[in-house]
Amino acid sequence: MSDFTRPKADFSDVQSGSSSTAPDTPGAPSQARTYTVVKGDSLSKIARHLLGDASLWPRIYEANRKTISNPDLIHPGQVLNIPD
Amino acid sequence: MRNTTGNVMSMLAIAVIATAGCNKKEANVPAADSTTMSQAQAVQVNSVDVGRSVGSDMRVTGSGTEFARRDTIYASVATSGTGPATLVARWSFEDGQVVDSTSRSISPMSDAVTEFHITKPSAWPMGKYRVEVMLNGRVAGSQEFMIK
Repeated sequence: MSDFTRPKADFSDVQSGSSSTAPDTPGAPSQARTYTVVKGDSLSKIARHLLGDASLWPRIYEANRKTISNPDLIHPGQVLNIPD
Repeated sequence: MRNTTGNVMSMLAIAVIATAGCNKKEANVPAADSTTMSQAQAVQVNSVDVGRSVGSDMRVTGSGTEFARRDTIYASVATSGTGPATLVARWSFEDGQVVDSTSRSISPMSDAVTEFHITKPSAWPMGKYRVEVMLNGRVAGSQEFMIK
């Protein structure tokens, strides 16, 4: 019996967007992006991938203060809001 | 004298009949409120289609469910109804991992189409994917597709 297990796919560089024929709701952010944490991620790594600069990790931390109590502790599967 | 009394009675009878006719007519006119309510229909999702590209109307051109590893994948969501609504496209891989989730707040005045797209510069892992569209927090449609 093989104990081979398929490595988890890495989706950290996925880019997304949206547009609509309908007008945006006044006062609401027209589009919000989220990212799902995978094993081995850190806020600085996510900031480097998604914001282009690892030092911008506090922006992600601030955008997710409700769900992140310790910026050094994020969990695989956790969904983070990514600021523009 | 008798003729005068008779004329007055006849006129009264005509007036009563005419008034009754008017009341009947008014009763058949639909209430303005119910007409207004049926016109203001809340937003609902009519269809979700996936494809490699979208036109200026945001509808996918050449929809399909099989894609190459470097393709950008579009999901086109057709809605009807009016008023503020939040659409979310939640993309997931076959192992349940969430690939991406994007939300958009719209206020359509009539039928509308909203597109969501994802791309991966380092190429998609092959396998089965799913895009689930939520309207105001509730699943309103989905599509599965393959990366080959």
